[in-house]
Amino acid sequence: MMKFFEPLFITRHVLFALVAGGIGGIIFMFFLIEFDESTSANEFCTTCHSMTYAQDVYQQSAHYNSASGVRASCGDCHVSEGIIMATYDHAIGTKDLIKQLFGPDYDDPVVNLLHLPEAAFASREWFRKRDSATCKRCHEIDAIQGTRANTAAIHQEETEGKTCIDCHYNLVHRKVPDEQTFKREAWNAMVEQEFGLPPGTAERILAGEPPPAAQPTAAN
Amino acid sequence: MNLADRQSRLVMCRRLFAVLLSLSLCGAVSAAKVELDPSNWGHPEGEACVSCHDKASPGLAQQWHDSAHKTAGVNCMDCHQADSAEPDAIEHEGQVIATIVSPKDCGRCHETEYSEQAGSVHAEAYAIIADRVPALAHNMTGAAMQASGCDQCHGSLVKVRGDGTLDPATWPNSGIGRINPDGSKGSCSSCHGRHEFSKAQAREPEACVRCHSGPDSPDKEIFEASKHGMIYAAQRDKMNLDSDTWIAGQDYTAAPTCVTCHMGAAGKIPSTHDVGMRNAWNLNTPVSERQYLVVLEDGSKLELPASAPVPKRGSEITKADGSIGKVKVVAAPDRRRQIMSMVCLECHSKSFTEGFMTQFDNVVELFNVKFGEPASAIMQSLYEEGLLTPLPFDEPIEFTYWELWHDEGARARHGASMASPNHAWWEGMYLVGRNFYARFLPEARAVAGERAAQLVDARIGDSEHHAWLSRPAEHNPILGYVPPPEPGPPAVPEAAPAQSPPAEAETLEPAVEPAPKSASVPGAEAGVGSDVGSGGVPREPALASGERAQ
Repeated sequence: MMKFFEPLFITRHVLFALVAGGIGGIIFMFFLIEFDESTSANEFCTTCHSMTYAQDVYQQSAHYNSASGVRASCGDCHVSEGIIMATYDHAIGTKDLIKQLFGPDYDDPVVNLLHLPEAAFASREWFRKRDSATCKRCHEIDAIQGTRANTAAIHQEETEGKTCIDCHYNLVHRKVPDEQTFKREAWNAMVEQEFGLPPGTAERILAGEPPPAAQPTAAN
Repeated sequence: MNLADRQSRLVMCRRLFAVLLSLSLCGAVSAAKVELDPSNWGHPEGEACVSCHDKASPGLAQQWHDSAHKTAGVNCMDCHQADSAEPDAIEHEGQVIATIVSPKDCGRCHETEYSEQAGSVHAEAYAIIADRVPALAHNMTGAAMQASGCDQCHGSLVKVRGDGTLDPATWPNSGIGRINPDGSKGSCSSCHGRHEFSKAQAREPEACVRCHSGPDSPDKEIFEASKHGMIYAAQRDKMNLDSDTWIAGQDYTAAPTCVTCHMGAAGKIPSTHDVGMRNAWNLNTPVSERQYLVVLEDGSKLELPASAPVPKRGSEITKADGSIGKVKVVAAPDRRRQIMSMVCLECHSKSFTEGFMTQFDNVVELFNVKFGEPASAIMQSLYEEGLLTPLPFDEPIEFTYWELWHDEGARARHGASMASPNHAWWEGMYLVGRNFYARFLPEARAVAGERAAQLVDARIGDSEHHAWLSRPAEHNPILGYVPPPEPGPPAVPEAAPAQSPPAEAETLEPAVEPAPKSASVPGAEAGVGSDVGSGGVPREPALASGERAQ
């Protein structure tokens, strides 16, 4: 009986709005899909100069160069699957954009490298929280054979309670120790040595003080 | 004389026991037992390590399965666990561990062995040569050789990089004087093969071969060529190598290995992990010196040449690293010798032992006086006079000198110390002599030029050791030439032959020839060395003048 009354509310305007909204919604969905896709591409990520440092190392890795020709893009690993989670990840990811615009000068290789450990820790945590979901897009644990004798057995028998990232970190990007054993002084010293900076420069850069000697060397 | 000797020996023996007691705090005759409460063994996470490593690295895991460690319930984590603040701590499968198990780590249980090896020549093997390595490894070759050569025996200064990885220029390394990230020195796995740590393996002479072989310290070859090695090879199955205690004279009598004499328990002598403790001499220097062993209050040790003043107990002394230590015990060279000799006594008589030691000492002293001291004095003066650059190995004579004491001289001394006649003589002192007379002296004279008499020949001129060179007419059949007897019966056999032979001895000429020519060689006025030197002269001046032209 109720059904007879409902159409009374659907005036021409309402109908128009519903159709327009529906079409708009569908267009928006397509837009999001396209948006998520294009903002997951390597080309988009490396439009910021700061990301090219991550790219350099990635391009040396097996995730870029594989014999089979399978290549994982930035988004394949770092953006969740599905339109909702992908959009969510991108929304959260805008904080990186804000930091890029208003934060430290990540385009500077020294600043970039000094901040890399925190980025690595955050990324590992991201993988851990999602049970390494993006790894599993391609890697099926039951199918892992490996090239050595017992790789399959290890993945079958030794992985209870573990997720991919627990063991497989420092795989694609520059090596960063685990957060538990990370030593900031040692990392700073390594960066200073690598860029020929006087000791103490790294600490000043991290504190936001402009280091006089750092800029010219960093430009190399 | 005999009585006095015997009495002084008695006194020495008493003192020796006092030293032994203080040196070996454990006091136990057998190998020290692990002190740590076994309830601390068997880290709960260790099982997971084994389960995975059985598959990931079955060889390594099997070695552990075969080990006494496993039997005792000691697993991977007991040795590899680390505090996250340690420089080389890493996260591995959820655990904080360190790849390097340092002597300090082993010392968590093996306290006695750790304290004994600390400060030993083994533990200091890197520190002792650290400043010398670049001259050969870096300049002459390249830094790559330090990692693959020097450091593999002497140990590396392990560098942990900022990203937590170990610098491949310094790791992997199991050199015996390795400077570990935790500051401790040494590497137990240098001798005790991972991960089985078999007693028997470490007691084998092969435990030492990786480093104690080759031209500069052919101790493996010397041992094998000695009667000790001969009997060991034949009686290996009687060595009781797997025995819990391994006391020479009790647990085995078949033959000694390296360990027996340098570390092992024998009779009342306790075992020690200070492998140089029983060495009265330093045999790897340009000139050998008898040496004191100074044990400091903090447990570290110091070798002092016998020519240095004897430090008093309780006095302060500067250590190799520049810090100050307080003297606890001083073992004089003769006491160290007596400890070594007491090992011999398990199988040999006292007079046999003393006789052998005398033969050994005589070789060392001969090397010192005849070759080591003059050669080092000559080199010193060539440097001081600016005839050689201070830079090592940019002049050929520097290689000649280096090989004289570092290779050939060390071989001779080691050969005599461990009874290989071949190494004492053909591989050793014969080559020292050949080098000294046919290479070193001619090269030194060429470098010294007009001042050869003063800077070179004067160093050997007075010594009776080199007087044989002033008797060129003295013949001997060793090279096949014997001068024919003079036709006239009253001829003096010594003087005449030198002039007469040439016509008949054409084929032997090169060997005999030098003597008459010697008069024209620089340095001949010193009267010694010149004739043999001339054998090398035609070849050497070109080299020498070339290098001086720089």
